[in-house]
Amino acid sequence: MRASVLSSGAVFAVSRVRRSRKARAVHEMAADSDEALLARVAQGDREAFAAFFGRYAAKVKSYLIRLGARGAQAEDLAQDAMVAVWRRAASFDGAKAKASTWMFVIARNAWIDKLRREKVELAYRGFVEAPEESEDEAPDDAAVRAQTREQMRAALSLLSEEQRQVVQLAFYEDSPHSEIAERLDLPLGTVKSRLRLALNKLRTHWEQL
Amino acid sequence: MNPRHHPSPDILAAYAAGALDSGFALVVGAHAESCAACRAKVAAFEAVSGAALSEMPAVQVGSDALSRVLARLDEAPAAVEPDARSFLERLPLKAKRWVAPGVWVAPVDTPHASENRVYLLSVAKGGLTARHEHTGAEFCTVLKGAYRDELGVFAAGDFAAAYGAFNHQPVVHGDEDCVCLFATEGRLKAQGLLGRLAFAWADV
Repeated sequence: MRASVLSSGAVFAVSRVRRSRKARAVHEMAADSDEALLARVAQGDREAFAAFFGRYAAKVKSYLIRLGARGAQAEDLAQDAMVAVWRRAASFDGAKAKASTWMFVIARNAWIDKLRREKVELAYRGFVEAPEESEDEAPDDAAVRAQTREQMRAALSLLSEEQRQVVQLAFYEDSPHSEIAERLDLPLGTVKSRLRLALNKLRTHWEQL
Repeated sequence: MNPRHHPSPDILAAYAAGALDSGFALVVGAHAESCAACRAKVAAFEAVSGAALSEMPAVQVGSDALSRVLARLDEAPAAVEPDARSFLERLPLKAKRWVAPGVWVAPVDTPHASENRVYLLSVAKGGLTARHEHTGAEFCTVLKGAYRDELGVFAAGDFAAAYGAFNHQPVVHGDEDCVCLFATEGRLKAQGLLGRLAFAWADV
């Protein structure tokens, strides 16, 4: 009796071995956790990958549609995300995160990357088609800025050439006063007093506006 | 480095969800890089989103979706070199522009964030910036040094968000130049013509 029990167990074991790998994937992986599947994907197991795909691809697509992806785009992005699952499976650490979290991050990043690509293309097109117009500036802004620049020019025109020179060097090139003195071949005190006079003149002018 | 000023939970949630504009996300990312507490919160939001993902209603995927994806598995992925540089070093910066003594601005080259302005601002120690108010949201993470305004001291790693009605005059605090990463929507409005000129010049 004992021997026959053993032999039937042996027969069962043999039949298990003989089952196709595909059947194994269907019957056994159904019970595996997502995390266990990912661990196998990391080893290059395509059947585990197909099982993981079966669990998540449709949900990822659904999430992408919720974010705003449409039709074929949601399908393409979901496929991209699943390819990324294969490539990055080795970076999955079941001790740190659940598979669903990891999958979410991959799907989210696929969406962010897509937005980024679109905006780069948009920015590039804008640059090619309308180089003279800054696309990120409202017309009002442009007017205010032009006006401000004009006011700046007007204010600077009140200065003597000598004063303008020190203002330019001190403010726009951020040269230290000692360096300005050296470049203009002037005593340091003269640079400082010129700058002070220039700023006083500008301030008086601005306060009148 | 333990930052003391953090993004609010709704900002972190939007960041985790991928719902922040990229320039703003960059500034939040700069804070998160130096703040373990916020990284943990972002991870918690991601876990909640992951659970929600598991519960999403399944929609039909293309009948050939699996075979298409399987066919792509052997494609060589684009090689990505690991980048060991610091956050500041990795930022793609355009040319620095000096806007006042000791103050420079360098726009961050982010064409994907063209609706926002993203820039680095550096103010030398003892420096004062123009009192200004905001026309839209502004996010800021201090990368180096510290500044002080009506709300307190903001040191390296600290995050600040300002919205339309907020009006402040930041002053550099301590002995180091202060470098901050900003993302703004809308223009800043400096008060006083001197400030306006500097802002016009700085293109912020």
